[in-house]
Amino acid sequence: MNPTVIKTIRATARSWTGVLSLALLLVIAAAALAAPVLGLPDPADMAFDLYQPPGAAHWLGTDNFGRDIFARVVWGARVALIVAIGAALLSILIGSALGAVAGYFGGWVDGLLSRVFDIFLLIPTFFLILLIVALFGASLPLTIVAIALTTWPRSARLMRSQVLTLKSRVYVQAALAAGAPHWWVILRHVIPNGIAPIVTDGTILMGMAILTEAGLSFLGLGDQNMVSWGSMIFEGQRHLRLAPWMSIAPGVALLVLVASLNLLGDSVNFAMNPQLRTRGGAPKRRRGVAPPADEPAATAGAPILQVTDLRLEYAAGDRRIAAVDGVSFSLPRGGSLGIVGESGCGKSSLGSALLQTMPNNAELTGGTIRYDGRAIVLDGKPVIEGGRSRIEALRWTRMATIFQSAMNALNPVTTVRRQMVDTLRLHRPGMTRDEATARIGEVFDMIGIPRSRMNAYPHQLSGGMRQRAMIALSLILEPELVIADEPTTALDMLIQDQILGEIADLRERLNLSLILVSHDMGAVAESCETVAVMYAGRIVEIAPTRRIFDRPAHPYSRTLISALPSLTGPLETLDSLPATGSAAAEGGCRFAHACPAATALCRSTPPPAVQLGGNHVAECHYAEEFAAEPVDAAEPTATEEACA
Amino acid sequence: MRLLRYFLFRVLQMFPIALFIVVINFALIHMAPGDVSILLAGEGADPDYMASVRESYGLDKPLIQQLGAYIGQLLQGDLGLSFRTREPVIDIIAERVPATLLLAGTALVLASVLGVLVGTVMARRPGSALDAAVTTISISLFSIPVFWLGLMLILLFAVTLRWLPSSGMMSVAGPREGLAYGLDVARHMILPVLSLTAVWLGQYVRLSRSSVSETLAEPYVTTARAIGFSERRVMTGFALRNALLPIVTVLGLELGLLLSGAVLTETVFSWPGLGRLIYEAILSRDTPVIMGAFLIMSFTVMLAALLTDLLYATLDPRVRL
Ligand code: SF4
Repeated sequence: MNPTVIKTIRATARSWTGVLSLALLLVIAAAALAAPVLGLPDPADMAFDLYQPPGAAHWLGTDNFGRDIFARVVWGARVALIVAIGAALLSILIGSALGAVAGYFGGWVDGLLSRVFDIFLLIPTFFLILLIVALFGASLPLTIVAIALTTWPRSARLMRSQVLTLKSRVYVQAALAAGAPHWWVILRHVIPNGIAPIVTDGTILMGMAILTEAGLSFLGLGDQNMVSWGSMIFEGQRHLRLAPWMSIAPGVALLVLVASLNLLGDSVNFAMNPQLRTRGGAPKRRRGVAPPADEPAATAGAPILQVTDLRLEYAAGDRRIAAVDGVSFSLPRGGSLGIVGESGCGKSSLGSALLQTMPNNAELTGGTIRYDGRAIVLDGKPVIEGGRSRIEALRWTRMATIFQSAMNALNPVTTVRRQMVDTLRLHRPGMTRDEATARIGEVFDMIGIPRSRMNAYPHQLSGGMRQRAMIALSLILEPELVIADEPTTALDMLIQDQILGEIADLRERLNLSLILVSHDMGAVAESCETVAVMYAGRIVEIAPTRRIFDRPAHPYSRTLISALPSLTGPLETLDSLPATGSAAAEGGCRFAHACPAATALCRSTPPPAVQLGGNHVAECHYAEEFAAEPVDAAEPTATEEACA
Repeated sequence: MRLLRYFLFRVLQMFPIALFIVVINFALIHMAPGDVSILLAGEGADPDYMASVRESYGLDKPLIQQLGAYIGQLLQGDLGLSFRTREPVIDIIAERVPATLLLAGTALVLASVLGVLVGTVMARRPGSALDAAVTTISISLFSIPVFWLGLMLILLFAVTLRWLPSSGMMSVAGPREGLAYGLDVARHMILPVLSLTAVWLGQYVRLSRSSVSETLAEPYVTTARAIGFSERRVMTGFALRNALLPIVTVLGLELGLLLSGAVLTETVFSWPGLGRLIYEAILSRDTPVIMGAFLIMSFTVMLAALLTDLLYATLDPRVRL
């Protein structure tokens, strides 16, 4: 079996709703299958004991004709399951065939079919089914067909989007290149690979089909020759006062069956996409600490930011991953530091830790952050003073971030001006709208955005302008320290250069302190005085920019530098983060598995921080030797797999 | 301007859909067993009327002309006569619409407001025990057959406890005007509204829980937090404001589904709306009324979809032609 299928089944089995609903479904299915051999009274058998309440002779009582309700409920399960399976199968069959065709061929075929799917979404399907059954006469097969005829577009849409993503896969293209006919490729390669979410949706379809059939039967359009729960309720309704048990039992059965189907679908869905359950959320309330008693009053000349042995861990399932694993650095007022590394090396986590905007599954587990000599994080805990955490007093007024605007960093439904006015007035409550607008104009002029673009929505700006708007937003309150997190990623080279130039320029003019987080050595080289190279959660080398380019002392830095000018890593994902359990726990150098110069010593002993003079530090056993060698720009790179 | 253009565009798009629905209806009538004229006029109609039906629908002409005649009749607002009462179907339906609107509208407002509220609160604590419990409860809620829930409510509150009336929209000899009348209708509404709201609520809780938690993971929410906005403002101005977009879309798409619930609920409570009308028509095999109701329901859903589209466009500045 396909490994993702097995994984999904395992994950489903771990949720109690999944297990419970599956168990209930199995019980119902078994009862329905075994109905003829259970020795139940004939569900159509009329007896003299009419309207018997539930008791020993008739567990669920008898109805107005003296028929045994328990037997009827069991037999009714057959009808419900036939409807559910029949309608869902038919609907999936028609839907995936047409959806696959639409997605596979694209063009006008897709246009036409997609229109049809859309139209069906707008038809009140229950009434269409009702009309069909009313016109053609009530029978179970017709009901099933009618339900499938109105629900297939649901499967079709799902299949279409699956096919659109599958179409470009290598194996599909390979099959085509080998001369396989289209219908074969669709049947053999496309549908089997795209069917999983459609099958999951099948449980929902089955629930819908059962409720539809029950609704029809309740309106008197049920098949007269079958015992259906809906028609039992239809009959029970007239005897509600005299024999309420007639309606109670079939309704409970309906509820249990449909709820089991829906809950099972839900559990499987969550099992396939575990992040659905925990994504987002309000920030965790983190326990704070009081400021240290011996803290000196703000001293002139203290570094604007000082980070000591900072540690940040992610919880991923039951694994804990140290994304930042003992990072220390200090940034003088007006200074600039570039933090470089591959995706997943922890540089962005470090950035989020500084502003304390980490996601909920991340936690600071240790270390201290001092801003202007005053601790804002102590032993991994936020410092609270006067009932308010210190970071709150710094946010945006003194310390701001430039996020990557290509990723929706600006609110898409609000104009740029409005976002800035709101920001200004949040921190300067007395400010009037006119004053705010004037201030925005100033910042726009400074950054080179035409004032006329103020009322634009983010999506109306070009990529470069949107990034400038983000920069404007970060500078609107005149902060002292700006943390730029990949500010130019996803822009084209020319614009990247312009924006980096502007950031460097602004820094000088406004005397900003800057931390630039980037995967791009070149970007950092242009705008920062100091460069820190991060690998697997640690700063492995830190040095003045000239120095690190001239004499890189860590093999990883050397590969980064020789890989210039274009080094684009894969997207940052939790999976690409190195687990704590690997090299670090075994006690060796974390880069040993990819290092071209690794020795036995490297694998057994973590390298010390080697001081190379002139503020140059590298964590490598052979740092001194490397620092003496010039870099060979043509050297093959090991960075591709470095953080993988 | 942007909205106007968008609106006109969407209106134009509705024409083929309307045509499609009419053609389905036409095709069904012709494919159904039995004589078309009987389906259109109703069984046992008097010969004069039968002849006039044949005449106006052009039943002896080729199919395509019959379709033309059918559309022509519909355009004049002629949905035929009810076979039971001999009144024009369109009048019978129009008479029933307000009651349905009152019932379904009240439940819809209650369910969506409450649902968004609960869903948003749950989205703040994803993965918590409360969140899991609420998810399970909402799924169970929309798995309840709405008509059965109605019966159970009647059993409890009308039959056993005798607190509330079990059926109808007003008391037989009750007041017919003023505040007293309003209160009487309100009392009759409680149980049907309760059943509908309960079933729909589950949908809205689920929907808003997932879309709010999705927006809470968006970068602009991180920006808002970094700027220092209070969590309340982050929720309303950023997360919920953006989450409304998918909520509104689904709201528009599921109106058809909602109407079917309303029909079933009306049947249980003998609420004098469209649903009750359809039920009566089915019992007396009054096909003109059933077909008319299908058409009207379809057009209602289309219109509602159009309105939600417009609402969406006002909420999302990115929508344009
Ligand atoms: S310590 Fe050894 S493995 Fe680690 S970077 Fe230096 S040479 Fe490579």
